[in-house]
Amino acid sequence: MSRAPALTRALEEIAGLAHVVTDPAALAAAAVDGLAPRWIARPSSVDQIARVLALAAAESLAVTPRGGGSSLGLGYPPRRLDLVLDMSRLDGVLDYVPEDMVASVQCGISLDALAGRLGQHGQRLPLDPAPGGARSIGGVLATAASGPLRLRYGTGRDLLLGVRFVQADGVVTWGGARVVKSVTGYDVPKLLVGSLGTLGVLAEATIRLHPIPPAWGSWLFGFETPGAAAAFIAAVVDSALQPERLVLLDAGAARAAADSATHGAAVAISIASTAEAVTAQRDALSMLAARHGGRPGEIGAGAWSRLGAALAAPLVIRLAGEPARLGHWLTALEHVARDGRIGLISMGEAGGGVLRAALRAPDGDGVPTPTWLEGAVSGLRAALAPEGGSLVVERAPRAVKDTVDVWGPVAPDALAIMRRLKAQFDPAGILNPGRFVGGL
Amino acid sequence: MPAASTTPDPSLIRALEGIVGPRGVVTSPEGRLTYECDMHTLYKGAPDVVVLPETAEHVAAIVRLCRERKVPIVPRGSGTGLIGGAMATRGGVMVSTTRMNRILELDLPNRCAIVQPGLINLWLSNATRPSGWFFAPDPSSQMVSSIGGNASTNAGGPHCLKYGITVNHVLGLQVVTGAGELVWLGGKVPERPGYDLTGVMVGAEGTLGLLTAVVVRLTHVPEAVRTLLASFSSIEDASETVSAIVAAGIIPAALEMIDEVMVKAIEEGVGAGYPKGAGAVLLIELDGPSAEIDAQSARIEEICWSHAALEVRVAADESERALLWKGRKEAAGAMGRLTPNWLLQDAVVPRSRLPQIMREMQVIQQRYGLVLANVFHAGDGNLHPMICYDERKPGELERAQQVNEELLRACLALGGTVTGEHGVGLDKAKNLPHQFAESDLNFMARLRRVFDPDGIMNPDKLLPAHPACGEGFRPARPEIPRGAWI
Repeated sequence: MSRAPALTRALEEIAGLAHVVTDPAALAAAAVDGLAPRWIARPSSVDQIARVLALAAAESLAVTPRGGGSSLGLGYPPRRLDLVLDMSRLDGVLDYVPEDMVASVQCGISLDALAGRLGQHGQRLPLDPAPGGARSIGGVLATAASGPLRLRYGTGRDLLLGVRFVQADGVVTWGGARVVKSVTGYDVPKLLVGSLGTLGVLAEATIRLHPIPPAWGSWLFGFETPGAAAAFIAAVVDSALQPERLVLLDAGAARAAADSATHGAAVAISIASTAEAVTAQRDALSMLAARHGGRPGEIGAGAWSRLGAALAAPLVIRLAGEPARLGHWLTALEHVARDGRIGLISMGEAGGGVLRAALRAPDGDGVPTPTWLEGAVSGLRAALAPEGGSLVVERAPRAVKDTVDVWGPVAPDALAIMRRLKAQFDPAGILNPGRFVGGL
Repeated sequence: MPAASTTPDPSLIRALEGIVGPRGVVTSPEGRLTYECDMHTLYKGAPDVVVLPETAEHVAAIVRLCRERKVPIVPRGSGTGLIGGAMATRGGVMVSTTRMNRILELDLPNRCAIVQPGLINLWLSNATRPSGWFFAPDPSSQMVSSIGGNASTNAGGPHCLKYGITVNHVLGLQVVTGAGELVWLGGKVPERPGYDLTGVMVGAEGTLGLLTAVVVRLTHVPEAVRTLLASFSSIEDASETVSAIVAAGIIPAALEMIDEVMVKAIEEGVGAGYPKGAGAVLLIELDGPSAEIDAQSARIEEICWSHAALEVRVAADESERALLWKGRKEAAGAMGRLTPNWLLQDAVVPRSRLPQIMREMQVIQQRYGLVLANVFHAGDGNLHPMICYDERKPGELERAQQVNEELLRACLALGGTVTGEHGVGLDKAKNLPHQFAESDLNFMARLRRVFDPDGIMNPDKLLPAHPACGEGFRPARPEIPRGAWI
């Protein structure tokens, strides 16, 4: 501990006196899974990140980068944590040429702040991860977070063109390009999207943008059962209709989207296009829904944020299976929850095969017991395994994490390659040690 | 170029025959000569032996054998690459995927297919179109190029403006890494925990491993397609039209530009019905719901007219549409009428810089006294100038290469990239230091080593050679405050 004052001074020399936090209350508030850091540093430039990491590498300090702070619950509890690298001061737009539909931003910028800038030019970054727009770009990319818009626009994997990041030893590195199309060298951005800050700290991102379509509409179709709703979804997928969102909702999620919804299941859809095409596709959807026993109702833009909020619960799981089996997995989840008398709100994304669910204890707002969850998760994982599916506990209290494997197994041969990557780029294990798959 | 060795090791041949059988190994000089280059014919180098595996297990055994003996491996699909990627700089073993050309599974409810790497791109769409689905990446070579080759080079095509490049359509891969591991990465389930190794492997040009199966996403056939052709008196007017279309919030399926020189060559070669004498032609394609297309095509026509279009034509039917595209896709073939030899560029500039780079191109070509023909993906700023030269005239090739280098530097100065869709290969490896810092190249070199610890996978491709040992490329390390060293 005698070295702490010297390290504090060194950090202050890099980030400035006002931007190194050692106040115990503030440190406790920045804890990850109950583990409080010894410092919070708030760098204001890529160079400062680089110097902080070089220091951390030299002193073997474990570092956790932090964006909006909403998704620090993802992953295993950190093996150790010395320094939280708070990215909130790096929140600028570096370069934005609307004609190119490309923007370069600092990774601490929030989705909402960015949307404000882009909206002035009729453009947007079509990423809509839960719980919402306060999330930082860096956090969204590092966690590969996405929402229902992925059906039409893909995920961070498809939208990140170039990235400036800082390696564990403090070396500032660039990967990718600043134009919409490049195959020059390895696709380094792909490696970093979803890497949870374990290979480098994301500092600047160059992203591909899309125009905000001139017209928009969204609807909720109610169905008696998830099976009927899933059959409707399959019919939409196998048609020339082009929804921007297409999600399967259980009864709880349907109520979150529209108070009046009393259906066994529902399908929420949004369409973005020209005014004529929105109307034409709405009519086609209604006919298709009627054929599958669906009852239509219009919902506003607010329904989508309410859905996001409904899924921002203390315990959230993400189940990924074959896209065509979305209805099957929603039903399976319902059975498991019913058996444990667990409160369930779940939403499945057509096309992506991703199903998110918020689980609540039988007696109200608490979370289910670790023991129950362990049984439910193991059962679902065993059922998902034959099709290459997975189940990730995205958010859970520490007590749950001590019992339940939040990532689940990764195929040993692929994991072996991942271990070599981690060993190559962070040999001392200072970047988010222990939090990623396989305890990387 | 380094010449290939001509003395295949007999024991290596026997071992390879043991894996794939004697009919799967090509050793004769005439046979190997067929494999000495891809479509970039300036780079020649025959392998010591060509092997034609039929299964993933064959490929794994071949890689393990070569790793044991430290023999270089060069992968090859259909050999239609444009970058000197599928030729042997150091002899060694070439692994051709032409016998691995089957569709392993079509899974339309899950919108995907699992195919062997040697499957021809167009064959997949031919198999799925009757059911309403297609494979979106459409490089101009799609009639002959393989999906494994498309994935290895992360190929583009005219329609990637709307649909994205190959990596956006690859859900998973079965690969043999340079370390000899046979492993599935990704698959039908698009999302899984862990690093995105599939994303890294796509576009790696065989330097990390060999692909033995590809899980690709299929796209639903759109309700309607409409192709427009607009001609302009100048490249500038056409370039500004491109910017105006995108600024109007319209992303066409494809937005291609053809310049005067190229129009002439295409008309003489293919007769696609392009207006002769125009300074530039835009080929614009919209697809999607009919109502959307109606509204967008009306808006695009307005934009073209307001940018001084000489003519705007909408393809009346499928046969006229096919003809307009035939001209575009066979442009390279039509070049034979214009020039005995040409170099093809693939740099990208930000779309808003198109007018500027086209002006610079004029200046450069006049300075060197060479003709440039242009046919390119204007919508995403991906240039394809063809630099015409005659190899029989002393000094012309060198001048063409100088034009190439100057153009590349000009594109990079505007914030562009060296290659948009063709890949790096042997051809552009030397240009990477102009685009990337040593730190960036060092990171990529170390990434390569993770997958290919012995450096046997497609050596000399994708990254520049470095005289220093190991990874080369010295990254700049930041200074650490002195206080830390107390």
